[in-house]
Amino acid sequence: MQGAFVSFLGQRVSPLPPAEREKGDSMYEMDLIERANSVNELLARYGVKFGIYKNGTFKEQLFPFDAIPRVIPADEFDLLDRGLRQRVKALNLFLEDIYNEKKIVRDRVVPEEFIYASSGYLPQCEGIRPSGGVFSHISGIDLVLGKDGSWYILEDNLRVPSGASYPLIVRDLCRRSSPRTFQEFHIEDNRNYAQLLRHTMDYANVGGLTVVLTPGRYNAAYFEHSYLAEQTHSPLVSGQDLVVEEDGVYLLDYTGKKERVGAVYRRISDDFLDPLSFRPESLIGVPGLFQAYRKGQVAILNAPGNGVADDKGIYYFVPKMIQYYLGEQPILSNAPTYLPFYEEDMKYVLEHLDTLVLKDVAEAGGYGVVFGSKMSARQKEDFVALLKAEPRRFIAQEVIDFQDLDIMDNGVRVPRKADLRVFVLSAEEPVVWKSGLTRFSRNPDSFIVNSSQGGGFKDTWVLSR
Amino acid sequence: MGIKSIEVTDRLYWLGRYSERVYTSLRLFAKSYDDMLDKGDTYGELCRSLEIPNIYPTAQNFLRRYPFDESDPNSIASNLRRAYDNAVELRQEIGTEELSYIQLAVYEMNRARLSDAPMLEFQKIADNILAFWGIIDDQVEDENTRNIIKVGKRVERIDLFGRLHASQVDLHREIRRLQGRIDRCTIRYDRACLAELGRLVEAEPLDYSAIVQTVERLTAV
Repeated sequence: MQGAFVSFLGQRVSPLPPAEREKGDSMYEMDLIERANSVNELLARYGVKFGIYKNGTFKEQLFPFDAIPRVIPADEFDLLDRGLRQRVKALNLFLEDIYNEKKIVRDRVVPEEFIYASSGYLPQCEGIRPSGGVFSHISGIDLVLGKDGSWYILEDNLRVPSGASYPLIVRDLCRRSSPRTFQEFHIEDNRNYAQLLRHTMDYANVGGLTVVLTPGRYNAAYFEHSYLAEQTHSPLVSGQDLVVEEDGVYLLDYTGKKERVGAVYRRISDDFLDPLSFRPESLIGVPGLFQAYRKGQVAILNAPGNGVADDKGIYYFVPKMIQYYLGEQPILSNAPTYLPFYEEDMKYVLEHLDTLVLKDVAEAGGYGVVFGSKMSARQKEDFVALLKAEPRRFIAQEVIDFQDLDIMDNGVRVPRKADLRVFVLSAEEPVVWKSGLTRFSRNPDSFIVNSSQGGGFKDTWVLSR
Repeated sequence: MGIKSIEVTDRLYWLGRYSERVYTSLRLFAKSYDDMLDKGDTYGELCRSLEIPNIYPTAQNFLRRYPFDESDPNSIASNLRRAYDNAVELRQEIGTEELSYIQLAVYEMNRARLSDAPMLEFQKIADNILAFWGIIDDQVEDENTRNIIKVGKRVERIDLFGRLHASQVDLHREIRRLQGRIDRCTIRYDRACLAELGRLVEAEPLDYSAIVQTVERLTAV
C-alpha cells in the first residue's frame, strides 16, 4: 500500500495542496475510522437493523457499518448518472411495451420465451398503463467497478429494491461524528432522498393519501419501510388498514372514518399484494387493490409485473432494449453474459464452466449463485445435466475482476469485495440519487455482499465539482 | 398526519401503558431491592400489591427473574419488550429520535442483566423512559398522537395506583389528568366508566378493587 490515503480518497479527489495531501487525507481517514464505533453505536441507538430468519426464528441484526467510504469522483458519477438514466428509461419503455403492444417481441429483439416463461411476467397486467406512464418508480441498479476502471451493471431491481435508508441515515451520523471531514471535502449531500421519493410518489398519485404498505415487523427490510414512511411523512400501513370499496382504496381510521388513498408505495411482492388477483392465501395483501389499480383509481409503486424486466434472463437483453427504444448505444456495460438458451452460448458455457459464475434466474438475495471453479466434478456433472434440461433457468457470466474496497476488520485494514446499488427515481424523468448503498463481503473469499449473508455497508460519497 | 389506523392507535395506547408499567415497576423494585438488603425476603409484599403470582421460591430467584426473565410475562423485561414491540412499529408516527429512547432502555436492560449492581442500569432505563416522555411532549407535532400515549400512561398509572393502594390525593390527581386528556384524542372509551371513576375516587374509604376494575374497562370498547 502506498500510504493509506491512496485507497481512501486518492490524490485526484483530494482538495488539499499536493504537498499536504498524504498527511491531510490520512488525518481525515483516521478521524473517520476512529469514530466508526460512535457511528455504529448511533446506528444501534436508532435501531438501524434488518431482520433475518435463522433456524426458523426471527432475529433483528444490526447492519455492520464500515467507516472508510466509497468515493466516486464527480466525472465518474456523471457517467453513471447518464448511463443509469438511459437504462431505466429503456426499462420503463420495455415494461410499457411488454404489457401493451409487444413490439420488441414482434421485432424479434427479445424472444417471447423470455417473457412468458419469466415468473415476473404477470398476465393480469396486460393492457395497463400506470398513471404518469412510469412502471419502475424506484429502481435499484447493482454495479461493480472492474479493475479496468469500468463500471459494470450486475443486476436491475425493479420490484421492491431496498437499501436506500441505510446510506441516508448513516450520512447524518457520519456528519455528526466527523464534522471537519465533511467541511473539508466537497461531497454531494445525499439527504434529499426522502424529497426525491416523495416527489416520485406525488407524481404517481391519482388523488388522495400516499401510504407505505409493509408486510410488517417481521420483514427483513422493516426498518427501511418505517424510516422511509417517517421521512416522507406517509402513513405506514399493513394490508388490514386498507379497504377497497367500489374500486376506491381507503385507509381506515380507528373511529371508522375512511380516507381515500391515491398512491401505495408497496413493500410487498407482487404475489402477496392482492389475494383476489394473485396468491389467494396472502394475508398481508389488500383484497381488490389490483382491480383498483387496473382501473386507474390508485397508483402502485413500483407497478406490479415489473419482475419481467429485472429477471436475470432479461438482463442480457437490456443493452438491446436501449438500442431498440432509444436508438442509442448503451453508456454502461453489462457483465459479459451468456444465455445457455442459445445453442452457441450453451457450447461456450460448457467449455468454460470453470471460469464462469452461474445464476439461477428465479433466485435473488445472493442465493442460487454458483462459481464453476468451486464445483466438484460430481457437482459439475449434475449441474450440466440440469442446465441441459432447463437452459432457460440459468445465465452464465464472466467473473468480473472487480476492485476491492478496504474495510477495517478488527482494527486491521483489509480488502474486500464490494458492490454498489444506485437508486434511480422516476417521475417526469428519471433522477439518479447522488449516493447509493455500498455493500461489502466480510468474508475474504466471498463475492456475496448481501446483508442476509453477513455483509456490511459503507457510506457512498459522490464528490461535487 | 390526521388519520390514524386502528393498529397505530392501539400501539400508541399500549406504548403509553407499558412504558408507564416499566417505569413504575422499576421504582417499586428499587425500593423492594433496597429493603431486602436489610430485611431479607420481603418480595412477597410486592407481588401481592401488584397482584402478580409469587412464583419465586427465594429472594435471589426473585431478584433475577422479576426484573430480567422474559419468559415471565410479569417481569420488568417482558414489559419493556412489549413497550419496544409497540414503539418499533410506530417509528413513522413518533419519529426515529423519539423511538431511540425506548431502544436505549432495552440496551440498558441487557447491560443490567450482566451487572452485579443492576440498580445503576435501572436508573438509566428510568432516565430513558422519562426522556422518551419528554421528547414526545416536545417534538411530536400531532396532538392526537401525544394524547393517546398520555391516556395509555394515565390509565396504567391509575391501575397501578389502585393495586398499590395509593393515597386518595394521588389517585384523584391521576383521574383528573385522565379526564382532562381523554377527550382530546380519538381513542374510544366508555364514558360511564370514566364517570364511575370520578365517583369512586370521592368515596371514603376508597374501593381500590373497584377502581382497578373500572379503569381496566375504560378503553376495552
